[in-house]
This record gives sequence, structure tokens and C-alpha cells, in this order.
Amino acid sequence: MSGLRDRMNRLRATTGEVHPPDPDKEKEGRQAVHPVTMEDSDGDESLHPGWSTFGVELRRNESGSYLVRRSVYPLDHRHGTHAVGELIGASSGLSAFHPEAGEPTPESILYLDLETTGLGVGTGNVPFMIGIGYMSGNSFVVEQTLIRHPAEEFAMLYDLQKKLRNYTYLATYNGKTFDWPLVQNRMIMNALRLAEWTPLHLDFLHPSRSVWRNTLTSCKLSHIEEERLGITRLDDVPGSLAPQLYFQYLAEGDPAPLEGVFRHNESDLLSLACLSIRFGWLLQEQIFERIPYPEEAEELVRTGLWLNRMGGSVLPEVLFNRAMNNNHAASSSLLKLAASDKKAGNWERAVLLWQKAIVQAGERSHKDKLEACIELAMYHEHRTKQVESALAFALQAMACIEQLNLYGGRDHKHRAEQDSIRNRVSRLRRKLDRRGMVR
Amino acid sequence: MNRWTGRAENLEEWLGQLKANESVMENVTHWRTLPPREASFAPLPKDLHPAWRDALRKRGIEKLYSHQAAAYEAVRRGSHVVAVTPTASGKTLCYNLPVVQSMLLQEEGRALYLFPTKALAQDQVAELQVLADLMDSGIKTHTYDGDTPPTVRNAIRNSGHIVVTNPDMLHSAILPHHTKWVKLFENIKYIVIDEVHAYRGIFGSHVANVIRRLKRICRFYGSNPQFICASATIDNPREHAERLIGEKVELVDNNGAPMGEKHFVLYNPPVVNKQLGIRRSSVLETQKLAAMLLKQGVQTIVFARSRVRVELLLTYLQELIRDKLDGKTIRGYRGGYLPKLRREIEKGLRTGEIRGVVSTNALELGIDIGQLQACVLNGYPGTIASTWQQSGRAGRRMESSVTFLVASSNPLDQYMIQNPDFFFGHPPERALIHPDNLLVLIDHVKCAAYELPFRAGERFGSESLEDMMEFLVEEKVLHKAGDRWFWMEQSFPAHNISLRSAAQENFIIVDMTHDNRVLGEVDRFSAPTLIHEEAIYIHEGIQFQVEKLDYPEKKAYVRQVDVDYYTDANLAVELKVLHVDKEKLTGDLLRQYGEVTVNAKATIFKKIRLRSHENIGSGPIHLPEEELHTCGYWFSFSEEAAARKSKNEMQFALLGIANVLVHIAPLYLMCDPFDIRVVPQVKAVHTQRPTIYFYDRYPGGVGLSERLFEVHDELIAHAKSMITSCSCLSGCPACVGPIEEVGLLGKQQALELLQEAGAR
Repeated sequence: MSGLRDRMNRLRATTGEVHPPDPDKEKEGRQAVHPVTMEDSDGDESLHPGWSTFGVELRRNESGSYLVRRSVYPLDHRHGTHAVGELIGASSGLSAFHPEAGEPTPESILYLDLETTGLGVGTGNVPFMIGIGYMSGNSFVVEQTLIRHPAEEFAMLYDLQKKLRNYTYLATYNGKTFDWPLVQNRMIMNALRLAEWTPLHLDFLHPSRSVWRNTLTSCKLSHIEEERLGITRLDDVPGSLAPQLYFQYLAEGDPAPLEGVFRHNESDLLSLACLSIRFGWLLQEQIFERIPYPEEAEELVRTGLWLNRMGGSVLPEVLFNRAMNNNHAASSSLLKLAASDKKAGNWERAVLLWQKAIVQAGERSHKDKLEACIELAMYHEHRTKQVESALAFALQAMACIEQLNLYGGRDHKHRAEQDSIRNRVSRLRRKLDRRGMVR
Repeated sequence: MNRWTGRAENLEEWLGQLKANESVMENVTHWRTLPPREASFAPLPKDLHPAWRDALRKRGIEKLYSHQAAAYEAVRRGSHVVAVTPTASGKTLCYNLPVVQSMLLQEEGRALYLFPTKALAQDQVAELQVLADLMDSGIKTHTYDGDTPPTVRNAIRNSGHIVVTNPDMLHSAILPHHTKWVKLFENIKYIVIDEVHAYRGIFGSHVANVIRRLKRICRFYGSNPQFICASATIDNPREHAERLIGEKVELVDNNGAPMGEKHFVLYNPPVVNKQLGIRRSSVLETQKLAAMLLKQGVQTIVFARSRVRVELLLTYLQELIRDKLDGKTIRGYRGGYLPKLRREIEKGLRTGEIRGVVSTNALELGIDIGQLQACVLNGYPGTIASTWQQSGRAGRRMESSVTFLVASSNPLDQYMIQNPDFFFGHPPERALIHPDNLLVLIDHVKCAAYELPFRAGERFGSESLEDMMEFLVEEKVLHKAGDRWFWMEQSFPAHNISLRSAAQENFIIVDMTHDNRVLGEVDRFSAPTLIHEEAIYIHEGIQFQVEKLDYPEKKAYVRQVDVDYYTDANLAVELKVLHVDKEKLTGDLLRQYGEVTVNAKATIFKKIRLRSHENIGSGPIHLPEEELHTCGYWFSFSEEAAARKSKNEMQFALLGIANVLVHIAPLYLMCDPFDIRVVPQVKAVHTQRPTIYFYDRYPGGVGLSERLFEVHDELIAHAKSMITSCSCLSGCPACVGPIEEVGLLGKQQALELLQEAGAR
């Protein structure tokens, strides 16, 4: 064997000799170095005493064994702004995600969050910890399973596969593209087939992005919970460290480094539950009776638009009016709402929004001002047929694009826009001239 | 002759006129006429599905060529097959026939097609789609490569019957995500590998390992596909295919495609300076011949060895032929043209709209451009196999065709042109791969472990699996649990492993004069002599000076300059023999093959004035030593031979021989001349005698030196005949090298020493 290492070193032409860790030397430094092997899963007596200090127990089934940590929360347990029991009231709001499937009961939702050994959904990325959460009677249960080495995976998945069938919905954060495909991978790799069960996804990453894309610096769950769910984590182990901590455990056999990973995963699941509560209330249009309205017009507009897409009725208008009356509203937010009004044929408010956008854009955003002027020029040319007004806005648009020219921006799209404004101006002038002749 | 246009009526007549043309014929060193070959047919197989038979009839196929029928039968018998076919002999039917047949019989069956390039894959899909539509069979064929839009990928994964891709995609996208391809892997019946001769050297060694991984994944899903390979004519198609796929293979080589009469003309540009052995530029001569053909209205393909030459020839020819082609055109073709443009050119060639094309070897592979009438090769393409492939682009089934090979002044070209019997009498080169090169193997063992845990008792290559596993456990990428080893690392191994680049760490050359654009790349082993600081680096004829070499970051920053000198660096090479695997003593000459380490350190560089070659300055090079562990072959002369020459004379003699050998070694290998290196030593450490070493310039070796060890006698004989037959007086770049390098007596010294070597 050392022969192979020597050959590899020669081929790689490494000058500094790399030696494998010398087991004797390592032992001097640390006491309890005991790499994890198969034997660790045979019999309770070998379960490392360190596990019990943070509530981890052994679970066996006909396919082998693995570890589990179960935490039970009463309904009034508060995690930030929300209490977990609110799910009972809020869950029916989530029906907007899958209207054809009726109203989700709190017991039909399974929360899922994986901790994995790598990134991506390749076949070599192993979820060493599977965290699930669910409502059970008068409590919210977080159940986290962990494999002490990869050979325990089959036993863990075997139980998970049976459990999944009791639920209809799978609530995740980015689970549509990450957690769930990864679970599917692992089932196939372990010759367990899931053919008869397909979840209805409640993936809250996409709605979170729709609502907070421009108001929060990041749409990571840990950031959203802090900014919008009133949750502060103390001594949290960042998720990105989880693989290294697991590898450290595999190499040394001491469970201690994994405590932080368990706590992190548990917090993620609780935050996910609270996020689902928030969206559930929002979809029932009750949310801002419980917490204050957003301050920024952008978030008001985005929330309203998202609610509209999900079939909302009253609340979006409330939000839009707040945005309209916000003196600090950014021109881009107003334009976004105007575009939606234009599409819906709600011209009256669209015109107000464009006019307001011109004011708000001022000298700050020639681009937004340009867009609003063009929209108003089109509106007056085609709908009110007030050619003079149309020309006035077209000329204003012309001035904006000339301002923009000063800053470069002479790409293809920009030139096309400039041409189209020129055409509009001359067309409007011709129309005016013709009228003059008729008179 | 047509008395209105002055054009010959047909190619035959034109060739007759050419034979009377003194100014051309005096440079023709050899004219060989290969007789036409009759077609050999076989009926469509009896068991062929009626729908398939109808579809073929609609395409005008009523019967098969003998090799197509043989391939079909061999596949239906259950053998793995390699079919060897020259250009344009209906090769694709060799595999489409059995694959489509099987799919008509068994709807769930799947097949995977591998092509070395994306362009080839796209041609194939178009062809198969036409056939499937004719049958109304619902057989779906899709390409799956880097250009496939994400939106359709999922559909292809689930419902493509025939998935057409390339080895790189298989390596980095399909295999590591095999769980998304369950349908394919559970039902895969055939794996088609076209152009297997393209998978040689280090690229082929990588691909052989990708195939090992592919077979492993197929086993996991309970399938055991059959391989159907197709190859151009090479010396060892069966052996090569067997090494590539790791299975016994049945050879089908009874080519039944007809061929018209073929004229093969070897053309050597005239000598313009006899003493220095300088000939007229092969580009100018190529241009002259191509222009003659095009003016006659003969549809012609010109092959050039570099992109720059393609552009150069194209510009010349377009200029020259303007107004003479009735509005039809001459086009260029090379990698780097956009796919849409290439499709357009291919179509133009098929319809005859395009009368001439100048191409790199990109058109050598089986892209469908129909058959042309004439082919002009600018320079020997490097291998006999490529020469036949390129020449095969000209030659219609019923008509005569002509190929001109215009030699450059490169020694290999000069050898080929002066020894036509070598070219016409020799089988094409052997395709060599070394799938068990330890570095390559370990890379793919990592990828394989990522895809599926290894279990004790499995095999992967010739190395002991336990040893490799233990090594990777120590490297902390695998974790052992029970009798299995699991990938336990955050990275995605396939991303860091490229199948195509030999040395993975190339140096990038950044042009600071033009917005830091990247000019090109230089491999790690050439970097110290080519891009040390102050070196003059020449790119497309423009001089650049290296201002800064960032060695750790592997970047050289250059600035455009205009100076009247070039730089030449001294490389001190130390060669250590680690282990002798084979040896043979013939007379006084000892030759050996084994493992070597090469330490190379660039010491100083000289500035040499252009044209006069005087030394006008020098400077030191401060760069770390490069070490390469690889395979080598060497031979050493007797002590008596050494005693007869002064140290200086011996130096020149060895250098002369080395210069010849490095150029003719590729005659026996399908490789780039830079893949193998030669080092002469007057008194080698290992042998204590005058010795010439060859080594594979890739860590671990790819089998090149080993092959040279085997053909040593022939190699020496060729070297000798090449020096004797060269027309120069005392050495020239086409044989032992210029006299500035090997001295006034270099040629004679080299010959004397070869005499010692007992060369006949």
C-alpha cells in the first residue's frame, strides 16, 4: 500500500513529502480518538456516552440501526414572533399553493431539512442528518435522524420512506430543487422505491424571493427569520460547517462536534414552521392584523402582487394604497405596480403611479423616469388621444434618454429605444400638423 | 476539352494534361494510381422488421454492403463489435441497423451513442430522426450536451430512446447524476462508440476509465449493454477497442463499399537554397495546385495543419479565384466557427453550391459533406491514418479522384515524400492508450466512488482495489464502513478532472497590450523555456515579450514588441532511471525500457539576432525545477564507439541522431510530436555510455516509449535512410538539423554512429 502512495507522490512530483497521519503521534495529543467503524452500530453498550448529553438515542429496525433525537414543543412555544400552535389556524391559508387539493390540515404537513456532506444533487452527496417536523396532537415534534456512518443510511431511509406516506404536503426551504431530489437519489441508491408517493410541495424559498428580493440583502432562511420573524439564534453553527463537523466526528468518534449541527437543524425546522405560519396567515389576509405593515413601498407592492398571483382579494389593494401614499416610495416600486395595473386595465391608478414615479425618480433615476414618460406618452396617444400631452411626455422621454447617453449605455437595446422615441415624436408631430391643417 | 471555357471535360482528361505539365511534374516525386474497387453487396437481413425494411427502401437502400451485413449479424449474435471502415462507406448503418431493429422489437430498449465532438452528434441525430419519421415508430433520438436547454433535459432523461452525447458530458453530467437516468440505465441495450480511433493517448486513457464507470453503473441497474464501435483504418482496431471497453470484441473489416479510381500524388516544393536545404513554402505550392483544380471547376477540399494556415490559404484562394466560379464560393472550416455556420457550409458542400473548402482536421472526422473530387493536403497530416482519412474526402463511387500531398520542409514530411513505399506499404499507426496510468486511474476511482460506493471484491483497472481504497481513505476522501467505501468529501470530483487536457495545469498567456485578453496556453513543462521573463513569445507571427511570469498562478503577462531577435533558453535536463522493465542487447547496442524521472531546469537564455543568428546577449532564468515521473526508452552505444570519437564529435553525432528520431518517432505512434521527447547524453549516468533517451511527456506515461522500444530496429533503419537520402551537403533542418546546431560534420558524424548501431 505504501508503494501506491510513493508512486502517487512521485507522479505528482510533490517535493514536500505528505505522510498519512501517524496514529501513534495522534494519540499523544488527544485521548478519545476512535474512528467510527461498523462495530459501533452493534449493540447499545457501544453507544458513545456523549450522545445522551444532547438527547440522542439509538433506534433499531429490521434493516439496522441509526440515531434519533426527538424534541417536543407545546403549542404555545414561541419561536420569534409566532407560536408553533398558530399552525392550526394558519395552515388552511396554504391551500393557495395547491388549490385543487383542498385545505391542508396541520397534521398533513411534513417539514423537511437535510444536512448533507456536500453541495449539489450528485449521487455522492449524502444527507447524514434528516430533520423532520410535524404536528402531533397538542404538540409540534422535531425528529432528527443521524447516521453514525454511511452504512446506516439504509435503515434510516427505510423508516423515513414508511413515514412519508402519512403526509400529503412537504414543507421545505428550496426543497423542490435540493432536499427532495436528494432524498429521491438516496432512495434509488439504496434500492428503496418511492414510486407510489409524490409530495405536494410547499417550498417557501420562491414566495420569500417574490416578497423580499429587493428589501432584504439575502433570502437565506437565517436572514429572513432575523429580519421578519423576530428570531435570534445564539451560538448557531453555520450550516456550511456541518459537513466538516460530521467528517471530524467520523474521524474521531466523539459526538460532541455534532451537538451544534443538531441544534442548527432544529432551529431551521422551527423557523421553517414559523415561516409557513406567516405565509398561511398572509394568504388568509390576516397577517398585518398581528404585526405592523411593511415600511417600504417595495415590500408592500411585492407582497400585494404575490398575493394577487395566489388569488388574494382585499389585502392586495390595502397594500397597494399604502404604497401609493408612501412619500418615500421608490420610483421602481411604483412602476412595478403600474405595470400590473396596466395589464389589468386599471388605467386610472396606473396613470397616477406613472406620474408619481416621474416625481419620485426626479434626478435620481433617469431610467425610471424614461419608462414612466414613455408609458404616459403611449397612454395619451392611444387611449385619451390627447396628442399634445402625448408629445409633451415623448419629448420629456427624449430628454431622459439624452441624459442617459451621458452615462454611456449605448448598447443595442438602448439605441433601439432611442429610435423608437424619435419615431414617436415625429409621428405625434405629424398628427398635430394634420390636425392643424384640418382646422 | 471544352473549346469555349478551356476547361477539361473531366478529371481524367485534366490529369492527362497535368502529366504533360513540366513545371508541375518536376516536383512530383511519386504518382500512384489506386485501382477502382467493386462494391460487394449483401441482401437486407431476413429478420429485419418490416417497418425498418420499408424505411430503408424509402431512403433508397435495397441492399447492404458486405461490412454492414457482417456488423449486423455480429451484433445480433450478441458480440461486442468494432467495425473498421474508410471514409464514406456507410459506417453509421453498421450500428443504426441493429440498434433500430432492437428498438422496434422491444419498445423499452435504450441506447447511448458517444461521439468525440458535438458536431458529429448533431449530424447523427438528424439522420436518425429522418429514419424514425419514415417509420412513424416513435423512436426518440436526442443529443444531450452542453448546448441542450435545461428545459428539455428532463424529458430527454426520461423518454429519449437514443441519447447522443460525448465522453465529457458522460463523465461530468450523466454518470454523477445517474439516479436521474434510471430509465436509460435500466433499459440500456447498446452503447455505440463512433470514431474510436480518436480516443487515444491520454484522452483515450481517460475515456477508457469513463467507460469502466459507465459499465459499473449499468451493472448497478441490472443491465449489461452490448458495445458497437466504429473506427477509421488503424493498425490495431480490435486491440484498441478491447482496451477501451475492457471486453472481447469481434472485428468487422470486410469493407464492401465501392471506390472509384484514386490518384495519389506526392509533391515536393522545389529547393530554393541547396546548401541550407530550404524549399519553397508549402503554402504557396498548395495554393497553386488548389487554384488549378478550382479553376477547372473541380470540387476541392484543402486540409491545412493550423487554423492560421487555413485562414491564410483561404484568403489567397478567394482572391485568386474571384470571378471564376460563376458565383459559387470557397469557404473555410475549422473549430471556432459557430455551429450554424458550419451546418451551412456542410450543406453547401453536399449540394455543390460551395466548390472549395479549406479546413483543419475538423472535417477529417465523419461529418457528412458528401464526396468531393480532389483533395490537397498542405503538409503531411502527421499520421498515415489521418492522411487516408483526409484523402478519403475526395472520391466518388463511380468517378476518379485525386489527392495531392504537398510536403513542408519538416523532416517528417520530407521522409514521407521521399519514401512513398513507407506510406503506401505500411499499415496505419497503432492507437495507444494506457488506462491504468496511475494518475488517470485514481482520478476515475474517485469519480466512481462518488457515483456508487465501492464494495470489497470489486475490480477497477489493474491496480489492487484495496490499495487504492486505503490510499483514498488516508487522503480523507473515502470512508470505510463494513466492506464498503463511501465518498465522504464536500467536492464534486468530476469537475476537477478534464478528459482532454494532458497536463492539467497549463500556463495562460495574457496580452497586456490588448485589454488583458488571453493569447494562448503553454503546458507546464514547456513554460520555463518558452515564457520565462524577458522571453520573446511569438504568436501568429507577432512578437510579444514576457514581462512577468506569475509562476504560482500560472500566468505569463506579455506585451507586444517589435525587436530583431528571438530568445532561446537552455534547459538542463537530468534523467534518472528508476526501474528497468525490459531490455535487449543487439550487437553492441543496449536498449532498455522502464520508469524514469526527468528533472528539467531552465538555466539561461540567449538573445539571437534574426537572420544572422548572432548571439547579442543573455540573461539568467530563475524558475524552480520541474520534475516528471514517466516511462522512457533508451539505447546506448558501446564504449568502443565512444572511444572512437571526441566528446565534441559525439555530442554532434548524438544531437543529429536525436533530431532525426524525434521527427520520425511519430511514424509509429498516433501522437503529436510534442507528446514524446528525446534527450541525447554523451555519458549517461545510468549507462555510463553515449545514450539517447525517449520519454512520454505525461506523468505516468501513455505507452509511447514502450511502443518505440518494440520497433527500435525499424526506427534506426529509417533514421539512417532518411539522413542518407537527404539532398543537403552537411546537415539541414530536414534531417540532422542545421549546421549551426550540429557542426559542419554533423551529418557525417551521425551516420557513422548509426553505422555502429548496426543499422542495415
